[in-house]
Amino acid sequence: MEVSFRKEIANLKLGDGQTFHGEGILAVTKALLQSGVGYVGGYQGAPVSHLLDVLLQSEDILSELGVHLQTCTNEAAAAALLAASINYPVRGAVTWKSIVGTNVAADALSNLASAGVIGGALIVVGEDYGEGASVIQERTHAFALKSSVWLLDLRPDLPTIVRMVEKSFELSEVSNTPVMLELRIRACHVYGSFDAKTNVASKVSSNARLADPAVFNYAKLSHPPVTFNQEIDKVVRRRPIAEQFILDHQLNELLGPANGDVGVIVQGGLFNVLNGRLAQAGLSDIYGDTAVSTLVLNVTHPLSSKQITDFCAAKRAVLVVEEGAPDFLEQAIGQILRKADLQTKLHGKDCLPMAGEYTPLVVADGLAKFLGTYGRDVSALTSWLAAHKARTSAVATALETPLPARPPTFCTGCPERPVFSAMKILKQETSGVHVAADIGCHAFGTFAPFSQGNSILGYGMSLASAAAVSSVQQKRPVSIMGDGGFWHNGLLSGVASAAFNKDDGVLIVMNNGYSSATGTQDLPSSRPNDEGRGKGIEIERSLRALGLTWVRRVRTYGVKNVKRTLDAALKSKDKGLKVIIADGECQLARQRRVRPATAQAIASGQRVVRQRFWIDPEVCTGDRSCIRLSGCPSLTVKPSEDPLRTDPIAHVNNDCVGCGLCGEIAHAAQLCPSFARIDVIQNPGRFDRFKRAMSQALMRVFGAHRAPPLAPAE
Amino acid sequence: MNPVALPQPTRLLIAALGGEGGGVLAGWITEAAVASGLVASRTSIPGVAQRTGATTYYIEMIATDPTRPRPVLALNPAPGQVDVLIASELLEATRLASTGMITADRTTLIANTARVFTMDEKMAMADGRVNSARLIEVLEKAAKTALLADLGTAATEAKSPLSAVMLGALAGANVLPLTADALRDAIRREGKSIDANLKGFDAGFAAVAATPPTSAANPLPISRPVSALAEFQARTSVLAAEGVKRLTDYQSAAYAETYLAHLRRFAKVPGVDDALLADLARHLAIRMSVEDVIRVAQLKLRDARVARVTAEARARPGDIVDITEFMKPGSEEILGLLPPILGQPLMRLVHKRGWSKKAMPLNVTTTRLSGFLRLKFLAGLKGWRPRTLKYKAEQAWLSRWLHLVEEVAKRNPAAARELIISAKLVRGYGDTYARGLANWDLIATSLVEPALNTSVATPDLADQILQARLAAEQDPEGTALQATLESIAQWSAART
Repeated sequence: MEVSFRKEIANLKLGDGQTFHGEGILAVTKALLQSGVGYVGGYQGAPVSHLLDVLLQSEDILSELGVHLQTCTNEAAAAALLAASINYPVRGAVTWKSIVGTNVAADALSNLASAGVIGGALIVVGEDYGEGASVIQERTHAFALKSSVWLLDLRPDLPTIVRMVEKSFELSEVSNTPVMLELRIRACHVYGSFDAKTNVASKVSSNARLADPAVFNYAKLSHPPVTFNQEIDKVVRRRPIAEQFILDHQLNELLGPANGDVGVIVQGGLFNVLNGRLAQAGLSDIYGDTAVSTLVLNVTHPLSSKQITDFCAAKRAVLVVEEGAPDFLEQAIGQILRKADLQTKLHGKDCLPMAGEYTPLVVADGLAKFLGTYGRDVSALTSWLAAHKARTSAVATALETPLPARPPTFCTGCPERPVFSAMKILKQETSGVHVAADIGCHAFGTFAPFSQGNSILGYGMSLASAAAVSSVQQKRPVSIMGDGGFWHNGLLSGVASAAFNKDDGVLIVMNNGYSSATGTQDLPSSRPNDEGRGKGIEIERSLRALGLTWVRRVRTYGVKNVKRTLDAALKSKDKGLKVIIADGECQLARQRRVRPATAQAIASGQRVVRQRFWIDPEVCTGDRSCIRLSGCPSLTVKPSEDPLRTDPIAHVNNDCVGCGLCGEIAHAAQLCPSFARIDVIQNPGRFDRFKRAMSQALMRVFGAHRAPPLAPAE
Repeated sequence: MNPVALPQPTRLLIAALGGEGGGVLAGWITEAAVASGLVASRTSIPGVAQRTGATTYYIEMIATDPTRPRPVLALNPAPGQVDVLIASELLEATRLASTGMITADRTTLIANTARVFTMDEKMAMADGRVNSARLIEVLEKAAKTALLADLGTAATEAKSPLSAVMLGALAGANVLPLTADALRDAIRREGKSIDANLKGFDAGFAAVAATPPTSAANPLPISRPVSALAEFQARTSVLAAEGVKRLTDYQSAAYAETYLAHLRRFAKVPGVDDALLADLARHLAIRMSVEDVIRVAQLKLRDARVARVTAEARARPGDIVDITEFMKPGSEEILGLLPPILGQPLMRLVHKRGWSKKAMPLNVTTTRLSGFLRLKFLAGLKGWRPRTLKYKAEQAWLSRWLHLVEEVAKRNPAAARELIISAKLVRGYGDTYARGLANWDLIATSLVEPALNTSVATPDLADQILQARLAAEQDPEGTALQATLESIAQWSAART
């Protein structure tokens, strides 16, 4: 079950004279509709998931405007979707999480860029970089350079975002080149407002279809011999057009005095951080009225040589504020200055660090070095940095030991946790095996208390990453993959390849019914229902179609059975790939559906049995083996009530959803008798009450001192 | 361009755990700011942190000035420039203090003193919890004003989400350019669970109003009132009384009397003071009331349990509450009920055949007749207990331990105290119990007994036992204990 975006959808319908309030990524969605986009697609992933999520629930808007929406199964498919704009005058936009998504899309992206487009083609990438990121830290910039795709890195405020989306389509069409629009995590989630415009229907769309296919034109194919011409066309024709468009429409911004002796060239996405530090040094204010000449590059590729030389010509020095490695912009600017024979001193990664996020502290430090060198008073910055250092070291001293980290973990009642519990118990009983981990919620299995996983090689790549491992290991490796990863890449890169090569290994597919880590979006195998897009395509049948014979299904919460099945797979005489499909619905999605339904049932007087787990505080001796096998957020510790015991004991709090894992672990690992399940029969029927009364009466006969109260005093 | 003369935004940072409602809270605040005619920006870094990881939300708000361009609001909080920090959890508040986000010249801190323990704290084999008092001390020192209150309990009592209580606390602190009514209206406009949220809002408002600034809520450990035994000194008397009570319930008054006899004997050993005797009173009572199958059944039939469970599970009047116990006595626990003459040969057979992992899973519903009767039968075996194999084994362990303690106490009381405390390694059930027993045995044979067998003074024995126990509590695999014992052995060899 997907999240409901009722309020956000209303935002998409705003027209002229109305004000949009909302997050950056939804402003992008609205801007797409204002730009007359004809088709939209992509693959979900933080921080851009909502772009698609909202459109998925906006069927009326899409059908009214004739916008086609494609839920792509991976980013390569999304990039390939833009092929419609090669031959037809229709604007298209796709989105994904970068760098990983761009990696997957790279093949289609190269082919698209080579052929070029006539309809505006926009790729909105969520640059998952810095604090809060969950992927490898690399720059999307590299792809823009190698494929000659234009790259925008915007000032993170909504009016700029919206204007740039609209301009991107124009830029794309005028230069026949796809445009990438890069938004960092905080920019995607930034809340702000802009003056909305009425949505525009595309002239060519699913409501206005073209009668004839494009005329055969070999030049539109990314195939030799025309690829040689295309390579030249990209740099000789398309790029100068783009540079001119960027200058004409002032996509980059010149702020501050025109004739300052020093200047800063900054990626648009970092402008707010820079301005904050300049303000602190007394060189700017909250309105961005900076005293230091600043060139804000909302377009980071291509750079206009003219714009760079004009900006630098009269300056003693410039500082390039460019996040991440390598220093593409600094290199490019250096080359431009050198060729123009300008003697302006170039600073960048000599003042600022080569790698890592440019936080306010980092930028302040670099700015102080740069401005200090050129005679500005930077005492406000340096004293601030010194005070910060003193303050944090005082806190560290007072704390004595570092604070424990709090990485994310499986939700309460998550169906994937029991599989890792079973793996850990099996590991304790036998010994470990190589575990190839994957992308998805199940990657939390690499954290404590499970600490399982030897490598992560990408989304759906676990099985492929274990292929050579099995040749150097006595025991079979185990690969973990989610249903998300399975459809994204795993079925072909992993399963088909293993079947083809007769790889001997074990694959566990976590079938929780959704792409949960990205926000419980539907997958091809999701259950079909009224609201979602699920088609119920069976994972098991897909596996059997590839000729696999050793395929077992387990209910994840049955820890003992999961353990036994995994043990059987590891010991089986079968030499091929052995697959365990671990079924258990994402608890986040399940609770979203079940909770209101249950509340309604109880309110209307229906009989409902609510379950949760409980730990007997008198029986628990506080060794917490259970926590080391479960890691459930609702399984926690509390002080012992026993005056003789000093260590805290385990405790189940009221977040428990009664998934039953505690009891299963207590049995499977033969832990302790402290666990109990509580069944609360709400709105009990007459028969329930009769049975209970009989039991109580007979128990009294056998010496129960008094009947436990049926209900507590409120 | 003079930043001092120009207006500055109010900057607010929220520290929370993902999925806890921090996003909702941030939403209410920004909505209220916009509705109050301010320019507001808010951002977050949810990503995978949505799954209970540490995360933050950042808000800036400033009065609009139609004569000026749009303000450039920051997306990243800067240390030293946070006006208000509101934290849903004590450790997360402290985490931000440690990154410099709370400053004494500027920051009003509103923090929930309730703890949500991290995995590291929870999975530690001994007490891994971070000392809350120290966190509170750090926060009080770091902030300009620290409003620390148990907002978690306030939320539970108000049956309201924590986010609403936090919003109320923020209103109560009166540090934003927003009225309390503006914040309440944000809840109403959102239109979800309005009544519950407003109730929580009021609870939070009251909690902060009632909290004198910089006075921390005091998380008190729960303890039962205890009587005291006059014949012992202060600390021992309380614990010994508790021990007698427990052992009388566990077995009999006579059994409790043997416990007291041990204590009296040790009280006369030279070098044994109240502190040492108190530790012995504690650990001897625990070890003498080992949780065998009979004891577990007894505990599970306690009258007070159902009422307690009913309250904890928040059952309503008229609901029926059933309790199903998850018990899985292993072969050793079951055979332990037999007399040694039968139990020992069977136990040998079980080990020989590798059946020691075999166990009997029992899901017993104690609130129903059949389950009740099964446990009643097991609990009724109390009188039989002294004849069982398990009892004999426990008594053998006890006499070895007590003998070692007594001998060590004569030479080195500090080491004797550590040896007493080391008994806490032996606890739990099944594998945990076996592992604890083995670890303790390793300490006894490799550290304590050699020390007793030598005429050389062993001043380091106390520290060695302590280090070994801490190592045994570090990891269930026993890796740390092995390493510690090896390094002690090497060090001792080098000295002689």
